[in-house]
Amino acid sequence: MDFFLRQRPGQAVTSAALIASWCLVALLTTAVFSFAFNQLHYGWNWSAIWQYRQKFLQGWLMTVAISAAALLCSLLIGLLTALARRSSVLPLRHLAMLYVEVIRGTPLLVQILILFYVVANAFGVDNRYVVGVLTLSLFAGAYLAEMIRSGIESIRDSQLESARAIGLTRTQTYRYVIFPQVVRQLIPPLTGQFASIIKDSSLLSIIAVSEFTLNAQEVNAFTYSTLESYLPLAGGYLLLTLPVSLFSRYLERRFHFAT
Amino acid sequence: MHQKYATCNWKGLLRWTCAFALAMSSTFSVAENAKPLIVGMELAYPPFEMTDQSGKPTGVSVDLATDLAKSLGRPVVIQNTAFDGLIPALKTGKVDLVISSMTATPERAQSIDFSDPYVATGLCLLLNRKSAVKGMEVLDRPGVKVAVKKGTTGHLYASSRFKQAEVLVLDKESSAVLEVSQGKVDAFIYDQMSTYQNWRRNSETTRAILEPFQKESWAIGLRKGNDELKAKVNSFLIEYRANGGFERLGDRYLGEMKGEFKRLGYAFFL
Repeated sequence: MDFFLRQRPGQAVTSAALIASWCLVALLTTAVFSFAFNQLHYGWNWSAIWQYRQKFLQGWLMTVAISAAALLCSLLIGLLTALARRSSVLPLRHLAMLYVEVIRGTPLLVQILILFYVVANAFGVDNRYVVGVLTLSLFAGAYLAEMIRSGIESIRDSQLESARAIGLTRTQTYRYVIFPQVVRQLIPPLTGQFASIIKDSSLLSIIAVSEFTLNAQEVNAFTYSTLESYLPLAGGYLLLTLPVSLFSRYLERRFHFAT
Repeated sequence: MHQKYATCNWKGLLRWTCAFALAMSSTFSVAENAKPLIVGMELAYPPFEMTDQSGKPTGVSVDLATDLAKSLGRPVVIQNTAFDGLIPALKTGKVDLVISSMTATPERAQSIDFSDPYVATGLCLLLNRKSAVKGMEVLDRPGVKVAVKKGTTGHLYASSRFKQAEVLVLDKESSAVLEVSQGKVDAFIYDQMSTYQNWRRNSETTRAILEPFQKESWAIGLRKGNDELKAKVNSFLIEYRANGGFERLGDRYLGEMKGEFKRLGYAFFL
């Protein structure tokens, strides 16, 4: 048993233990799921699904595009909102507070419907893809803003005072003192939020944005093969979220300098 | 003493007989009759499948299911299921029957069985009043947007035949109607009765072409190979029709629409 135990945090794990541990985990997971699927009396019909592979691919690419766009926009919105909440202009601070509270307190489904059928309609924006990306960015932006704000506020006052003492301006303080520390702290929660954006993009199907989930549902409606449509769906989302996780590990290591 | 003993015995016998008969009948009803008839439908298609103010299922299909269950001597349970989940639910045995205004199509018939049809209807168009699209013949053109509801025959029709028009797949009938009335799409392909109602409700912004471009009939869905139940359902439908059951349902739920469709020459219930 000692084989799998790590004596002290930071102590290196032997590669044999690493491989054995992963095998054990894989074996356990496979055992549970193969048992569950074996209990199921279900007539699998993968050939029907294979005919629609183009549809799956198109939907997946659409989800990649929407998520990537929403990821960038939400980061921008989140950053601006976090700064607005710390701004010295009172109405700006209140606007940011209201935005965060309203977005975090209401379901994304309702936000999508209202933004598309009421707000976008009033402003004459008819492109559902643009509205979809915007809604998703606004939704995620509120969460990101709070993460960034809490990151900024975790910087001790003594550091800010020191920065002022050596004559740094407000911008310089953010650039050279606050952000380098905040970025490293933010990576794990940001990764989770980005994975959420990718999965939440599936809700855009209600305004007929032809993304991955809607395409899988359509295939299900044509073929009546529910599990065969949804298992590739789960795989397709993992294919997107796993690289995000791995990339964040890499960034965490890169920004791991001593403080 | 003797007398008393005899009485006792007689009473005891009676009690035993009664208890036995009850036990027998309840065993039989558990096996044959009392097992509830689970009917799957999506309660989002008034006046056929809907809920009343208190959230209880009501509508033509609910009454039909109740009367069918009564004739089979079984209690009825209505299982509210999304339309594209109805066939999977039937296949995996979660429901016994599907009565959800479902069109009997050859594609669906590969997965499930259908009873004899009980309603004749057709696909037609709800158009935006300002849309340049004037009818079916100019629908499949570049730049034309057509809304359909996911999993309906309109969806199947559009995705298999349209080459140039953009097909938008929506989850809910109400969103599709909203898209038409806001002019985000040109047309919504749906059945005659719903199209008529949606047009009446949005007569300022929409227009309807009720002439069907594809005729369809609705039937009750059954699991494949469930022939005994299928025969019972079919004989129930014949009897129900003969007794004026469908007429009563029409009068109760369809109201003015029934007269309107008769005037336009579209039959409803078979």
